[in-house]
Amino acid sequence: MVRSQRERLLEAMVRVAAAKGYEATTVADVIEVAGVSQATFHEMFEDKTSCFLEAYDAMIDVLVAHVSTAFETASDEPWPEQIAAALRALVELLAAEADIARMAMVEVTAAGDDARGRYRAALARFAPFLEKGRTYSGQGDELPPDTARFAVGGATSMIFDEIRAGRGTDLERILPDLVFAVLMPYLGPEAAEDEMRRAAHQI
Amino acid sequence: MGKQVATKVQAGAEGTGAAREVEAPPDAPTLRPVSSPKRQRILEGMLEAVGAVGYNAASVRTVLDRTELYRQAFYDNFPDKDACYLEAFDFGVARIEALVIAAAASEETWQGRVRAGLGALLDAFDAEPAVGRALIVEVHAAGAEALAKRAEVMRRITDFIDLARSDAGQSESPPAIAPEGIAAGIHAVVHSRLATKEDNGFCELLPELMYFAVLPYFGAEVASAEMQATK
Repeated sequence: MVRSQRERLLEAMVRVAAAKGYEATTVADVIEVAGVSQATFHEMFEDKTSCFLEAYDAMIDVLVAHVSTAFETASDEPWPEQIAAALRALVELLAAEADIARMAMVEVTAAGDDARGRYRAALARFAPFLEKGRTYSGQGDELPPDTARFAVGGATSMIFDEIRAGRGTDLERILPDLVFAVLMPYLGPEAAEDEMRRAAHQI
Repeated sequence: MGKQVATKVQAGAEGTGAAREVEAPPDAPTLRPVSSPKRQRILEGMLEAVGAVGYNAASVRTVLDRTELYRQAFYDNFPDKDACYLEAFDFGVARIEALVIAAAASEETWQGRVRAGLGALLDAFDAEPAVGRALIVEVHAAGAEALAKRAEVMRRITDFIDLARSDAGQSESPPAIAPEGIAAGIHAVVHSRLATKEDNGFCELLPELMYFAVLPYFGAEVASAEMQATK
């Protein structure tokens, strides 16, 4: 199947920015990798930034779809197992595409307000998976309003630190920690630690 | 350089009720007087400018606009923007850390100290949200050295939180990752408000942030009681 020029440009943008860093990436790099003319680029995108932002959103769509599929595939399981399955899918994809993960999670926080806004929006898309924990735990609205943000923030920070430390290809190692960080606010420490152990056995 | 000001505070030792002297960790940036009033104005101007327009957009000119100093005054003190920000980061962190330590000092329990310290931190963001943004949000745009400094601050916060393990009332023994999750989660909630410039009412976050801090060490009942009592 022939992909559209737009898709090729978006994918080239992700590859180049992941390899060189966003700042160092030029439109010339992107059109060369995509095999598309400069004129075509400018028909489709205003500038490098707008292309990057659209590429970023498309990349997040892929990531959320991947995680969502893992979550839904485990829908016969209790909610904590669904979360563990979703986190496993997340770390596997991020580890397999370590350059892209670095760009999506580390570099983006340095790439200006628009990019950071996209990053925050991306993190917010994981909240619905977590918010089912309100019902599962039986605590509903008694849990603090920022519970999902707290849980996602804890996990994100651990992933961020691993990637920054150059261990992005080995993210599965911290899967049990991530399981604990995400489940603890909803289930409390004991139940979260049980799930953490279970995740450790499955590695 | 001015003499270092020791940030010693009195605090009750956990479990014993005896008073003991608690010092800031030896690797914490000490709150020392900046060597000249001009230098201090530049550091403050740097934090305000970066908090207002972002690290990438801030220039030596934007900083000077906030200090009413001449260009030469900047270059007498700093080689460039990056070096100035790195020192401003330490300066800003030390100033807030001193407030946190002072607030926590009069409390006798871990819960009391975290509540007072976190309260002081949130008050500082309410008072100067731009400085909060410069330290918490814009540090990500300021390069590897700045990120290493940030990691050190997070490590100190994590260690402070994990003192709960030696508190007499602790009922749970969460895994080693717990304090890091708490620090990162609280950071995420605050970061999100600072980044979107929802600058009013950081102190209103205290009850729920306390819930998250208390939960892993003391369980849901104590955490809920803490949240209700702090409201």
